[in-house]
Amino acid sequence: MRNDKTTVIIELEGRKIRIPEGLTVIEALWDTGHDVKRGVGCLSGLCGACTVAFLEKDGKRVRFGLGCQKVVEDGLNVIMMPYFPSRVAHYLLETMERPLEHLREIYAELYTCNDCKACNICPEWINVAGVMKAAKEADYETVNEHIMDCIMCGLCASRCPKGIAPQHVALFIQRALAREREFPPNLQRRLEEMEASAYDARWRTVTALDSEELEAYCRQAEGP
Amino acid sequence: MYPDYMLDSMEAVTATRENRKTEAPERLSDEACRALLATYHPDYREAAFRNLRVGVNRGERTTHEIADLLEAFSDLDYSKIDLRPECETDVLVLGGGGAGVTAALFAERMGARVILATKLRLGNSNTIMALGGMQASVDEKDSPLRHFADTMVTGKFAGRRELVKVMVEDGPRIVKWLLDTGVDFDRDEAGNLTTRKAGGMSTPRIISIGDHTGLNIMKVLKDEVGKRDSIEVSEFTPAVELTTNEFGACNGAVLYDLGRKRHFVVRAKSVILATGGSGRLHMQGFPTSNNFGATGDALVLAYRAGARLEGMDSFQYHPTGVMFPEHMVGVLVTEAIRSLGGHLVNARGERFVNELETRDVCAAAIIRECESGNGVSTRFGKVGVWLDAPLLEEAQGKGFLRKRFPSLYRHFMRVRIDISKQPLLVFPTLHYQNGGILIDGNGETSVGNLFVAGEAAGGIHGRNRAMGNSLLDIFVFGRRAGMAAAKKICSEPGNATLNHVYRYYDRLKSLRISSVAKSPTLFPEFIVNKL
Repeated sequence: MRNDKTTVIIELEGRKIRIPEGLTVIEALWDTGHDVKRGVGCLSGLCGACTVAFLEKDGKRVRFGLGCQKVVEDGLNVIMMPYFPSRVAHYLLETMERPLEHLREIYAELYTCNDCKACNICPEWINVAGVMKAAKEADYETVNEHIMDCIMCGLCASRCPKGIAPQHVALFIQRALAREREFPPNLQRRLEEMEASAYDARWRTVTALDSEELEAYCRQAEGP
Repeated sequence: MYPDYMLDSMEAVTATRENRKTEAPERLSDEACRALLATYHPDYREAAFRNLRVGVNRGERTTHEIADLLEAFSDLDYSKIDLRPECETDVLVLGGGGAGVTAALFAERMGARVILATKLRLGNSNTIMALGGMQASVDEKDSPLRHFADTMVTGKFAGRRELVKVMVEDGPRIVKWLLDTGVDFDRDEAGNLTTRKAGGMSTPRIISIGDHTGLNIMKVLKDEVGKRDSIEVSEFTPAVELTTNEFGACNGAVLYDLGRKRHFVVRAKSVILATGGSGRLHMQGFPTSNNFGATGDALVLAYRAGARLEGMDSFQYHPTGVMFPEHMVGVLVTEAIRSLGGHLVNARGERFVNELETRDVCAAAIIRECESGNGVSTRFGKVGVWLDAPLLEEAQGKGFLRKRFPSLYRHFMRVRIDISKQPLLVFPTLHYQNGGILIDGNGETSVGNLFVAGEAAGGIHGRNRAMGNSLLDIFVFGRRAGMAAAKKICSEPGNATLNHVYRYYDRLKSLRISSVAKSPTLFPEFIVNKL
C-alpha cells in the first residue's frame, strides 16, 4: 500500500520517520503514536494550542506555525512548542475609570521594547513589533485594529528578549478601549425601552397565543 | 493549490460569473422547502436513526451515534475509584467554553466559590470558532419580539417559546455586560453597534467583531476568569461521571486527570454542565466544524443521572464546510460570505439555490446537487460544490476578502489557494447540536442541582438554529445557570455516590443491551484515511 510516491520522510520530535504525505503536523504526531491532547484544540487554526517550530528542507532558519494547519513536506524537521509561560498582569477593569492610563503600571515592561522585531513570527501574520510600537506610542486604535486576529498562542512572547508578552499587553488595550468608549446609543435606547416595560403588553399577547396563532403571528412578523 | 482535475470545473465558475450576477434563484415556497428537506437533509434520513431503548427518553428518536453512547457502559472500573471527595466547592462548572466561563463568572459574582474543570485548555471550545457574530435586537427597527418571531420560525416552532423569550429578552442586557467586561463590538460612525442581516432574519440583527466574534469575546472572558480569585480553573481534567446523593440530586463529578492518569471526585452544591456539543461524533459520517473535544459528554453524563433530553434527532449541518484541501475538511466557511452575496455554484457553473435560504435548506440543496452528480469530486473521494468567493472581490473591490475575512484568506494562502481568485469547494459540515439536555429558564434540568448551559442544553433552537443565536444563547443561559446555581450555596450536598449509574446499568443489563461503545467518549479516535 505504501510506496515512495505517497510518503514523505520527516524528522518529527527528533525522530526521522516515514509518514503518508498530506498530513498536518498534528495528524503526523497522532499517526506515529504520540498521544497529543495538550496541544490540540479547535483543529481549525483558531485556538492557538498547537504551535510548532520547524525547519524546512534546505531552510535557513527555524520558522513557526500551527500544527493543525502546517502540512508536512519531505525533509521537514518539526517539534511541538510548549505553552510558553508569559506574565499576565492582575487588574480589575471595573475598578478603573480610565484603564488606558494605567497601562504604564500594569505592563511596565512594554516600555523596555526597543523594536528588535524578534516577535514578528506570528502564525496569524500580525505585525507584532508594529503593534507594540503603536502601544508604546499610545496609538491604541492601531493596536486594536491589528490585534483582532490574535489567537493568544504566545509564540511572540517566547521570542521577546525583554520578557514582554505582546498578546496580553494587546488584550489589555483591547479591553480598556472597549470600556472607555461611549455606550452605543442604539443599545442604550433599547435598554431604556425595556426598562420602561415598552414590550410587556405585546409579550402578554404573544404568550397567550395558542400554537396555531403563534405560528401565524411569527410568520407575519417575519415579513419586511 | 487546486489539482489539475478540478480546473475545468473552476473555469466554468469563472465563465458563468457575469451571467449569474443578474439572475438569482427564487426563494423556495414553504412546501418546496419541506420537500427538499425531506429528501436530502440528513435529519430526515430514516436509516440513520433509531429509538432509544432505555432511560427518560425511551422510545424517542436519535442518531445511532448518540444512541450508541447513551446505551453504553463506561470505560471506568467504579470499584477502583475513591468516591471520597478530593476537593469541595460551591459550584462546579464542567466545560471551559463561552457558556462555562460565563456561568463561572456569574456564580462568582454571586459570592460562590467555583471550580471550573475542562477537558482541554481553558477557552478551547466552539465559541472561539464562532466567526460571523451574535444576534441581539439592538437596531432601532428591531425589537425583542421580532427576534422571538424569527427564532421561532427558523426553529420550525419546535423551540420552547418560554426559553426563546428568555433568550431574546436577555439579549440586549447581555450585550451590555459584554461591553462592560471589555468586549469591543464593531461600531458605526455614530458609535452605534453595527448590525447585519443573515439567513432567516427579517431585519439586521447580527453584531460582530470583524471576522472573529467568538474568539475576541472568549479572549476577554478567559482573561477575566484569570482575575477572579474565587474561580479555580482545572485544565485537562474532563468529567467522566456525575455523582448524586441519596435523593438522586447531583452533587459533584468524577474527573479524570489526563496528566496523572487518575480519577478524583469534586463535591459541589450544584453542578453546571457546559461541555458543548457532539460534532466530533461525526453523525452519519459527516465532517465537522467542531473542536477536538466536542464529543457529547454532557448528554451521556446527564442522561445517566436521569435528565430529560430534547430534540436529539436534529442537528445543524452548516452548508459551507471546506472540502478541499484535505487537511481542512469540515472547517467552517462563514455564512457571511453568502450573506454578502457569494454564490453557491455546481460543477457546471450553475446556481441551484438562493443563498439566503436558512442553513438547513442550503445544506439540503448542496447535498442534492452532489448526489445527482453535479458536484466536484476530490481525489480523496469527497464531493462538493463551489462557493464563489471571487465574486465578492469583484463586487466589493480588490483586497476586500483579505481585509474582511483575514483568517479564511490566510488559511487558504498557506496552501497556495487565493480565495480572491479561486472559488472554495464546500459541502455541509456537522456544525451544531440543535437539541440537548432540556432546561428551564434558569438552566436547571429535571435532575436536582444540575444545570446546563450552552450547546449541551436543548429546547431553545428547535429544529434549526439561526446564525448568531448560539453565541447569544451561551451567554444568556450561562449567566442564568451561574446565578441560579450560586443560590444553592446553602444546600447540603450529601454523600457522593454513583448509584444513578448502577441503576442505569441494571436497566441496560435487564434489557440485554450490550454495546461495543464506551462512553463518555472524551476524545475522538484518529483515523488515518489518507493511506
